[in-house]
Amino acid sequence: MKKILAIALALCMIFAQAVVVAPTAEAADGVTISLWTYPIGKWTDEATVKGFIEEFNAVHPEINVVVEYLDYTNGDDKVNTAIEGGNAPDIIMEGPERLIANWGAKGLMLDLADMVPEGTYEGVVSSCTNAEGAVYELPVCMTAHCMAINYEAFEAADALQYIFFFNHTATTENFFKAVQAVYDAGSPYVGTVYCGGQGGDQGTRALVTNLYGGTYANPEHTEYTYASEENAKALAALCAQDGITFDPSIVASDEIQNFVNGTFQMAFCWNATQEVNNADALTFDVFPMAFPAEDGVPSLQGGIWGYGIFDNKDEARAEAAKTFIKFLVDDDAEYAKVVEATNFQPVRDVEGVYEGNELMAEYALMNPMMGDYYQITKGWTQARTEWWNMLQRVGDSDGSAETILAELQTAQDAANAAAAAE
Amino acid sequence: MKPRTSAGRLTSRSLVLHENVAAYLFLLPFLIFFVGFVLYPMFMCVYTSFFDATMGREDIFIAFANYKELFNDEVFWIALKNTLVIVLVSVPVTCAFSLWVASVISKMPIAATSVFRCIFYLPVVTGSVAVTMVWKWMFNNYYGIFNYLGQNMGLIDKPINWLGDTRYALGCIILILLTTSVGQPIVLYVSALDNVDKSLVEAAEVDGATPFQAFWKVKWPQMMPTTLYILVITTINSFQCFALIQLLTSGGPKNSTMTIMYYIYYNAFKLYRYGYGNAMGVILAIIIAILSAVQFRLGREK
Repeated sequence: MKKILAIALALCMIFAQAVVVAPTAEAADGVTISLWTYPIGKWTDEATVKGFIEEFNAVHPEINVVVEYLDYTNGDDKVNTAIEGGNAPDIIMEGPERLIANWGAKGLMLDLADMVPEGTYEGVVSSCTNAEGAVYELPVCMTAHCMAINYEAFEAADALQYIFFFNHTATTENFFKAVQAVYDAGSPYVGTVYCGGQGGDQGTRALVTNLYGGTYANPEHTEYTYASEENAKALAALCAQDGITFDPSIVASDEIQNFVNGTFQMAFCWNATQEVNNADALTFDVFPMAFPAEDGVPSLQGGIWGYGIFDNKDEARAEAAKTFIKFLVDDDAEYAKVVEATNFQPVRDVEGVYEGNELMAEYALMNPMMGDYYQITKGWTQARTEWWNMLQRVGDSDGSAETILAELQTAQDAANAAAAAE
Repeated sequence: MKPRTSAGRLTSRSLVLHENVAAYLFLLPFLIFFVGFVLYPMFMCVYTSFFDATMGREDIFIAFANYKELFNDEVFWIALKNTLVIVLVSVPVTCAFSLWVASVISKMPIAATSVFRCIFYLPVVTGSVAVTMVWKWMFNNYYGIFNYLGQNMGLIDKPINWLGDTRYALGCIILILLTTSVGQPIVLYVSALDNVDKSLVEAAEVDGATPFQAFWKVKWPQMMPTTLYILVITTINSFQCFALIQLLTSGGPKNSTMTIMYYIYYNAFKLYRYGYGNAMGVILAIIIAILSAVQFRLGREK
């Protein structure tokens, strides 16, 4: 009897495992699709996302949407592991650098060209389109990444005279004068070129390339071009400037935290979402600014976010995923709610978005300054890593333009080699 | 009527068979996991290391090209050097410090021993992310407690960027690793010291042995199996140092905290160079296997 019990127990343990590894059954009368979303505004807020799904299910009860919330630290690993394991999500919400330059380039995404709503800004659509004309990302929202200053600290240092208030920017010359003034007024850390990792690296890229008119990649997005005299001059100027430090121990999120708590007087990684998310912690007025340029006409780094659909070789799930996305973006009223949940700007003219919201109106001033969306250049992952590693070396160098140019060249060569290998 | 002996033999054979079946069935759940999550990945690691493997396309057989590239990869050598520094510093320090703490607290009353055991074991059971975040705050360049205390006590003139300076970053990583590594060895050493045959120690003392001689000649040999286990486990843990690097420095500044584990992760999961990452994994496994074998050999000789 004991033996029989023992064998039964052992069998129970085996079957228990079999249950664990068995795939989840589909909903009896419909299709279950998965939506994985990165933290784009409130798109990782369960109540917000659940609200959209409930609205969708009121119209399409046959489609069950299961949500997975990602973060920027481990999100890529999670998605890549799922792809390798043959369990890629159906819908993913992110930007072109991942959807087009990464997973799209590897042939993992469905072409959504026929789903782009009329009136979507041409520049946005082209940023979501690859060289072969496939649209792997249905754009939903966008922002122009900018920087921000502590208005009160600048005012106290009499540094506001160097800022153009009408278009929220400054010339390169005036920018350095303003930093010096704030530093002289007693702030040891006016701004920091963070380079501890890739998080928020668009801020340092935009700062460096704008100061003296440098570039990051060519307009065709075939190779990186950041090893230039202009960028070397910009980095040398930053190295020499009092109040500006290169810090390899922090990334953008740390910089933002230090700006919000008043340690830094400016942040190079900023946008409307940062101000909304940190509203409770901010004890001073934030003045958002476009990055300084020699001629006062900056070219801002854009961010575009939207939906992509993984090609899971399942017609029913692909159709269900498309139905879900169309529900969110086709109808203007629903789309307005979707955009507001991102805290970013819409990608087409639509009434009712951020009506009466002064903060968003202020940040919308930056949109016309949006520059080339070079994040879809091949070898992007390597290029990013090379960039912040280069900044670490520059920050620890003698600061001469020659040394800096050599470091830029080393980084660019590695990035271009990676681009050529893809 | 069959003879009793024959019938008895048949019964015992069938009993053995039943017991074996039951035993294997009990082992089966573990074996399924072991084969699926240990043996198979190990085999795939070695197999994939001979391929140019990435996401979204068929793997291309390239024989030993990954290994050839590895030996010409400057960052790999830096990572290997950093990893060896971590191992060479943290393993002896962890063992020596744990033994010292264990020998001190094992002489205390039972209640005090338990309290200290708990205190030293706390970092082990606390989530590594939480521990690392606390350390990150303490090392902070702008408002960290180390800079605050150092400046107030006149030890430093200006804040030190502990994690952002190539001179200090690896030392900081090793310090954190030590604090999270000593808990288990201390508990093991306390148990080992409790299990030392007291009559042998007393006999040595009666024969005029000094406390050091009694420890070195009597206690230490009896604790050798524990020491060997601690050495092997600490060595492997030090080689596999990853979370600290991922959370604190991403291998920087200027690769000064790059370890092999982090470099494997970077190549495999950031650049999607699975074959290259696996080749590094194979090299790391070989190094750990050799070191463990040496440690076992030395331990057995002792």
